[in-house]
Amino acid sequence: MGRQTLDISPVGRVEGDLDVRVEIADGQVVNAWTHAELFRGFEVILRGKDPQAGLIVTPRICGICGGSHLTCASWALDTAWGTEVPRNAILARNLGQIVETIQSIPRYFYGLFAIDLTNKKYRSSRFYDEAVRRFAAFTGKSYELGVTISAKPVEIYALLGGQWPHSSYMVPGGVMCAPTLTDITRAWAILEYFRTNWLEPVWLGCSLERYEEIQTYDDFMAWLDEDIKHRESDLGFYWRMGLDIGLDRYGAGVGKFVTWGYLPHEDRYQKPTIESRNAAMIMKSGVYDSFTDTHTLMDHTFARENTTHAWYDEGTADIHPFDRTTTPTQKNTKDFNNAYSWSSAVKHQDFGRLEAGALARQLVAGGKHGESWQHYDGFILDVFKHFGGANIHVRQLARVHEQVKLYREAERCLREFVLNDPWYIKPQEKDGRGWGATEAARGSLCHWVEIEGGKIKNYQVIAPTTWNVGPRDSEGVKGPIEEALVGTPIEDPTDPVEVGHVARSFDSCLVCTVHAHDAKTGEELARFRTA
Amino acid sequence: MTNVLWLQGGACSGNTMSFLNAEEPTVCDLIADFGINVLWHPSLGLELGDRLQTLLWDCILGKIPLDILVFEGSVVNAPNGTGEWNRFADRPMKAWLDDLAKAANFVVAVGDCATWGGIPAMEPNPSESEGLQFLKRKEGGFLGKDYRSKAGLPVINIPGCPAHPDWITQILVAIATGRIADIALDDLNRPQTFFNTFTQTGCTRNVHFAYKASTAEFGQRKGCLFYDLGCRGPMTHSSCNRILWNRVSSKTRAGMPCLGCTEPEFPFFDLKPGTVFKTQTVMGVPKELPPGVKKKDYALLTMVAKDAAPDWAEEDFFTV
Ligand code: SF4
Ligand code: SF4
Repeated sequence: MGRQTLDISPVGRVEGDLDVRVEIADGQVVNAWTHAELFRGFEVILRGKDPQAGLIVTPRICGICGGSHLTCASWALDTAWGTEVPRNAILARNLGQIVETIQSIPRYFYGLFAIDLTNKKYRSSRFYDEAVRRFAAFTGKSYELGVTISAKPVEIYALLGGQWPHSSYMVPGGVMCAPTLTDITRAWAILEYFRTNWLEPVWLGCSLERYEEIQTYDDFMAWLDEDIKHRESDLGFYWRMGLDIGLDRYGAGVGKFVTWGYLPHEDRYQKPTIESRNAAMIMKSGVYDSFTDTHTLMDHTFARENTTHAWYDEGTADIHPFDRTTTPTQKNTKDFNNAYSWSSAVKHQDFGRLEAGALARQLVAGGKHGESWQHYDGFILDVFKHFGGANIHVRQLARVHEQVKLYREAERCLREFVLNDPWYIKPQEKDGRGWGATEAARGSLCHWVEIEGGKIKNYQVIAPTTWNVGPRDSEGVKGPIEEALVGTPIEDPTDPVEVGHVARSFDSCLVCTVHAHDAKTGEELARFRTA
Repeated sequence: MTNVLWLQGGACSGNTMSFLNAEEPTVCDLIADFGINVLWHPSLGLELGDRLQTLLWDCILGKIPLDILVFEGSVVNAPNGTGEWNRFADRPMKAWLDDLAKAANFVVAVGDCATWGGIPAMEPNPSESEGLQFLKRKEGGFLGKDYRSKAGLPVINIPGCPAHPDWITQILVAIATGRIADIALDDLNRPQTFFNTFTQTGCTRNVHFAYKASTAEFGQRKGCLFYDLGCRGPMTHSSCNRILWNRVSSKTRAGMPCLGCTEPEFPFFDLKPGTVFKTQTVMGVPKELPPGVKKKDYALLTMVAKDAAPDWAEEDFFTV
């Protein structure tokens, strides 16, 4: 049986220009290549600029998780300048980031992912007609509500930062705002509105308290059976339909997962340093290796980048981001044996290629490593083990599972604010190196900054999608999405919806990735242009 | 039925995300109530791969009437004018743009990247980015100074980083309901209705501005951000304090200096060292003054204002 090559350009609904090449044999993907097709050069732009330029520029790397970039940019400067950050400010930064993610969950689920359940491929499923009623683009009942209500949580961001997207209200030493009681009560009301109009009645079909009782796969299945409201909620309906159409049967990936950890505790990270970070996070960092079923902590020194198959002339060695001298290839022709993407291959020095994202966070949340007070949740790890590994459906459950916990964390921030305490402590600007990390909705994000002579010498970003969408590394090992595509059944090569399912289950965001590997100097660029 | 095709060049999706925050009308209302038909959108469109390529060609060939082309993001020309650093649907994006702009009745540029080139076009502009009809304040851009869409209009510029959702939806609705003639454009092709007033119009710190009461440090409820923290509110054409963001606030209300993102010079001074969140001054007086204000008059005004300032101008009157 002959092989067929399918070039899909663009995949669409993944935020940014992702192209995929797959080789199909016997109706299944047997090989895959993902390529990022946009290069803007943010790191080039940042060189030689004001140390705080990252606060303005990096949120514009990605308008979908700009608040997460802002968080990284601020903490990177905090660690470089040795600031003190008042607890109010830590809470205000966390709250901003939380509501950005709470916004992202329904926007992603309905807007980007669930639309595909209305694809003609699923016409024979008994869930199809109802899926169309709920998830059809623009007109589906749940689509319309979910996409519209996703605008609500970020109103809280606007109460703190004036607007979402693209505020720069987080600054080294704290935040720019000093909310009043009316801001806080309004924020409460917005959260309540979100809960009573969508989260409980439409998404869960039960109270937050009932949902929080779910600890294991069996608990979840029992919850599903317990009440027709649970079964018929969007979550319950999606779960049943996903199983019916086989979303649990492909999209495995590399089986190893990473999270930097996020949400620093307001009393534990007021004197931020790179070294003390892991022990100060509410959501712990870590790597989960499913082959050995072990959890370990993640540290920035473990990160490596490889550009063997990317459009940069930088050799084939694995190097730490601080050491990259990125030189883009002028002629970026697609050569699937050599270079074929603007994304680099990111890896862990010991574990190799890792998947980032909500699933990674949840698998790490199920680990007993880290500090005793840190967040623990074994539910998704148990589901993962039940299915014998990752697949589209588990990845999806992990993505939406965070909604309730983050909602609770948002409530906690609002309770913990002490309105007349300080929100900002003016820092002393100085030279040095800094690192800031967090978890954007779609995975691990971090910034490295090096300041010399009062300006930026080097700025480096590794975004979630850099982990996930990267090309092969020097050993020819595929990136997580490439690996996840292998084994995907393709029913109709003229409408390969299955490839879309896999790619979108990672909630990739190409706009982040493509800028992230261009740390060449302005001078080199000029030389390279005239060459 | 008004067909809308929305594409992204060197973009961050921020304008799309902003657009999705629209509430009156919501994005779904636009479709259900105003007969807007989204042919395709990178985050919302259904088609992928070949099917999308076919749709794009159908628009170019006139098989599908293209009423409005919305473009978000900069036009990437690198390397060496080829545009290969931003390929989309198997061609340089700029090649699609060139063809589609000829077929479109109206072209709308949303956000700073599409209007002026935005952050990607900041020096040293590694991606050789430009806006559709401007590069910063310079007329021309990718489509050229004389470009007119089929309906006879230049590119309608809706700047902002991002553009406010109401600015976008109102223009789309105006076109869809045949009222575009009611909208006058300024000399940068921005709809005057949004960009005739200043950010400062409606700012809650205005009374502090009047009495020269400054916020010297962040995290304050009182004071104006103009004197120390670099607020560009008095010099920036925007309606941010009239048509609030996310329905609830604005940067300056929350305590963040306006960055002037609706003006072609954003980000100002190219973020050179010492220019971020700091007012540029000469002998303690802000270098840049509200348009039309003379330095000498301003110095006089400052003295009088400071003398006249009531005690409460220095107090936190937005107490908790
Ligand atoms: S804070 Fe800015 S916009 Fe508000 S009054 Fe002062 S200068 Fe004007
Ligand atoms: S306040 Fe200024 S920087 Fe903020 S959105 Fe408005 S014009 Fe842009």
